[in-house]
Amino acid sequence: MTAAGDSAAGADGAARADGPIGSRFDERFLRKLESLALTIRRTTAGRSHGLRRSRRVGAGLEFADHRDYVPGDDLRYLDWNLYGRLERRALRLYEEDEDLSIDVLVDASASMAMGRPPKLDLAFQIGAALAYVGLSNLDRVAVTALGEVAAGPPPARGKARILPILRYLDAVRPLQGTSRASRTSLAAAVREFLSRRRGRRRGLVALISDFYDPAGARAALELVRRHRLEAIAVQISAPDELAPRLRGDLQLCDAETGEARDLTISPHALADYTRRHAALLRELVGYCRERAIPCFTLSSEQPFDAVVLRMFRAGGLLG
Amino acid sequence: MDLAGLAWVIGGASGALPTATAAAVGAAGAATITALYLLRLRRRRVVVAFAPLWLGAAGTERAARRTRRLRHWLSLALALALFATILSGAVDLGRGTPARGASDRTGRSLQSGSSLQSGRSLVLLIDRSASMSATDEAGSRLAAARRRADEIVAGLSPADSALVASFAADATAESGFESDPRRLARAIAGVGPSDEPGDLQRALAFAAAILRGRLRPTVVLVSDGGFTDDARRLAPLDPDGRALDVRYAPVGRRGDNVGILSLAARRIPADPGAVETALVVQSFRPTSATVGVEVDSGGTTVDRIAVTLAPGERRRLTLPDLFAPDARIEARLTGAHDLTDDLAEDDRATATIPPLPRRRILRVGGADLYLDGALLGLGRTVHVDRLPAADADRAAARAPDYDLVVFDGVTPSTPPATGRYLYFDPQGPGSPFAAAREARSVRDPVLDPASVRRDHPLLRQLDLTDVNVAEAHRLALGPGDVALAASFDVPLIVARQRPGLRIAALAFDPRRSDLPMRPAFPLLVANALAWAVRDDADAATSAVAPGTTARDARESDTTPVRTLALGGRVLAPPDPPARDSRATVANWALILAAALLLFDWLSYHRRWTT
Repeated sequence: MTAAGDSAAGADGAARADGPIGSRFDERFLRKLESLALTIRRTTAGRSHGLRRSRRVGAGLEFADHRDYVPGDDLRYLDWNLYGRLERRALRLYEEDEDLSIDVLVDASASMAMGRPPKLDLAFQIGAALAYVGLSNLDRVAVTALGEVAAGPPPARGKARILPILRYLDAVRPLQGTSRASRTSLAAAVREFLSRRRGRRRGLVALISDFYDPAGARAALELVRRHRLEAIAVQISAPDELAPRLRGDLQLCDAETGEARDLTISPHALADYTRRHAALLRELVGYCRERAIPCFTLSSEQPFDAVVLRMFRAGGLLG
Repeated sequence: MDLAGLAWVIGGASGALPTATAAAVGAAGAATITALYLLRLRRRRVVVAFAPLWLGAAGTERAARRTRRLRHWLSLALALALFATILSGAVDLGRGTPARGASDRTGRSLQSGSSLQSGRSLVLLIDRSASMSATDEAGSRLAAARRRADEIVAGLSPADSALVASFAADATAESGFESDPRRLARAIAGVGPSDEPGDLQRALAFAAAILRGRLRPTVVLVSDGGFTDDARRLAPLDPDGRALDVRYAPVGRRGDNVGILSLAARRIPADPGAVETALVVQSFRPTSATVGVEVDSGGTTVDRIAVTLAPGERRRLTLPDLFAPDARIEARLTGAHDLTDDLAEDDRATATIPPLPRRRILRVGGADLYLDGALLGLGRTVHVDRLPAADADRAAARAPDYDLVVFDGVTPSTPPATGRYLYFDPQGPGSPFAAAREARSVRDPVLDPASVRRDHPLLRQLDLTDVNVAEAHRLALGPGDVALAASFDVPLIVARQRPGLRIAALAFDPRRSDLPMRPAFPLLVANALAWAVRDDADAATSAVAPGTTARDARESDTTPVRTLALGGRVLAPPDPPARDSRATVANWALILAAALLLFDWLSYHRRWTT
């Protein structure tokens, strides 16, 4: 009942006490957040607070599953028996109960400000929702906007701590122009985040971005893995990026680099772009699947609550 | 575009665009177009999240950029050329419009420019006579006249006012004086065809009366010109005796027509039961034509003939002894399939047969069923009174009251000096054909066929072959008496015709012959009545009787008249339109071109076009 009582007081109560939080997170959003947390709690009912079964390589007592070996994995945990029988290189995964530390990384680069609605809005809403659910589970949750100079609130427990997180996210503005900061790659931003995080226990990192820099995206996810953190990739595209409606002679300008090119967008060029965009997403999803990284590709016009619920139902998050 | 140019466009481009204004308009337009194209060359800047996704496929397009730029400049050159063309056309408009203040085609001096500004007063006189129903024009000549009148109305300047009138035998005003082209067009559309001949002089007098006291009075006659020489002999004058300005707009393309000019029917005086029809047809074709004439009565065709007419030939056709079951007869022309006939209205004509006259007959004598039967067969229009044989002398006294007195086997005591009589077997001293001394009767006389005078009205359509007569009495013929049938030297049927007296006599008693048993007997009685009442001067009258058709040949002559002269002066055509259609076209072309340029620029930047 305590938990239920806390939930009732929850984000809604906090918002009533302190008033609306900026322009991004209104009271309606907070109500949705509370409702979402309740729904997820029903889904994961019967589990202890602060405990989460995580599947990871090596440590743990209870065997859970195999996954294919990829270069960079620790050879010590290769299942040599399986290799002897099937000549298949696979790692053994064990389930381990742990007190989870959750870091939500939201890409706040200039490209995330594109789209109608902007991708950054959905990214912040998802980040806030993940944080709220984690706080509700008494996990240690921290939210960081990549590329933002100001650091986010320190890791905290309990859903009463959602307000500082929301205020932080509401204050974040996407990087504009062709400044050096705006051109900082995702990998560099993640590296910087990990350097600040050093010393904290292992945990889960949800990386929310458009991943429009394939090399940088792979490098960022690889960095997370090497720090023995579980990664979750949330890729967001704007509707105009999935099915652009550009025609004619245009001067295309890259949102992050500022590089401008004179182009003529013909139907053929449009079809070629669509193919390239789909291939980029396929590549990201394939990369994540090989490394057992949950990956979600979304459109910025989707409602955040439905997206978050889908993520939890798909598994790999707090369950 | 400067204010003068703008005013010129908004004002309807009714005149020439001044050169200075044209230059200003041209410079402004060219500058605007060039500015729009320079703006067009600037590409729309679009920010994308990840430009490398776009670069691969567009490489080829970028390679063609120079060509595209060249195309832009070509497009600019084309737009400038289009604008220059329209502008030069606008400048040329005024030069192409004749200066109506100078003179017209007839060389007659027209009003000065200042009076032009006061506007004209026009009467549009549309001919709606019978010939205007000819179909050599699309629809009909009247439809063509309406179209021509619409053109004239559309060409009126705003200062002009016009009245629409139509005429056939009479003239009618279809509208008042109006400057609104739509009202005038409605009035023109209301002009309907007529089957009357056109009376030009009456129409011109009507127009002149309407125009009295108005500025610059003008009559525009829209017609095919089919008027009589008398109508064309007089010069049109206004009520004050001054020459009226009449313009002529001809309609009609050709003159291919054969028409029935008249149709009349009458009863043959000698045989009121028979009908004679007179028909006049005329060809107005330039080549000979063969047409059929069908006469209908009571729903059936009662006669059919074919007539070949030379160009312009008029022919009178008589159809004698026409059997008409109905009082109304209709004649219609049936041409060959390849024969064009532009005027259908004169291909039909109707006539009404006059009713049978009422006749009175006095029958004197005893019972005679044969004679009574014959008299009964004369129909209800014949009234028969009867007197016994004893009253024969009294009957003679009453003879003036009757069309025919029949003495059936009885002879009054004195021969009549006046009246109309039919004697059967007259005998005794009272007989008109009494001999000086008593003549012997002739038994079984044989009728000599050679003696039968078939051409006499009494024997018309009678067949007396092999008539058997038991006994005949010899009749003494006097001066003027004619033996119509005889048995050698014994007259059997005799006719006497003297001033005021007509007597037909049978030298035998019909009851003592087989004549009453034959169809000839009632016919003989009928012929006797017809001969008795026949007027000697009753030749076919040329007067048109009621119920007949008579047309003015001018209306059937559809040959169009291109040049019409009244009083020896050739009528000029109407003035060229003040609202020059080219000006309207140039106006719209200019507006359309500007709209297209704007649309092109907008659509490019809104990505509707590439």
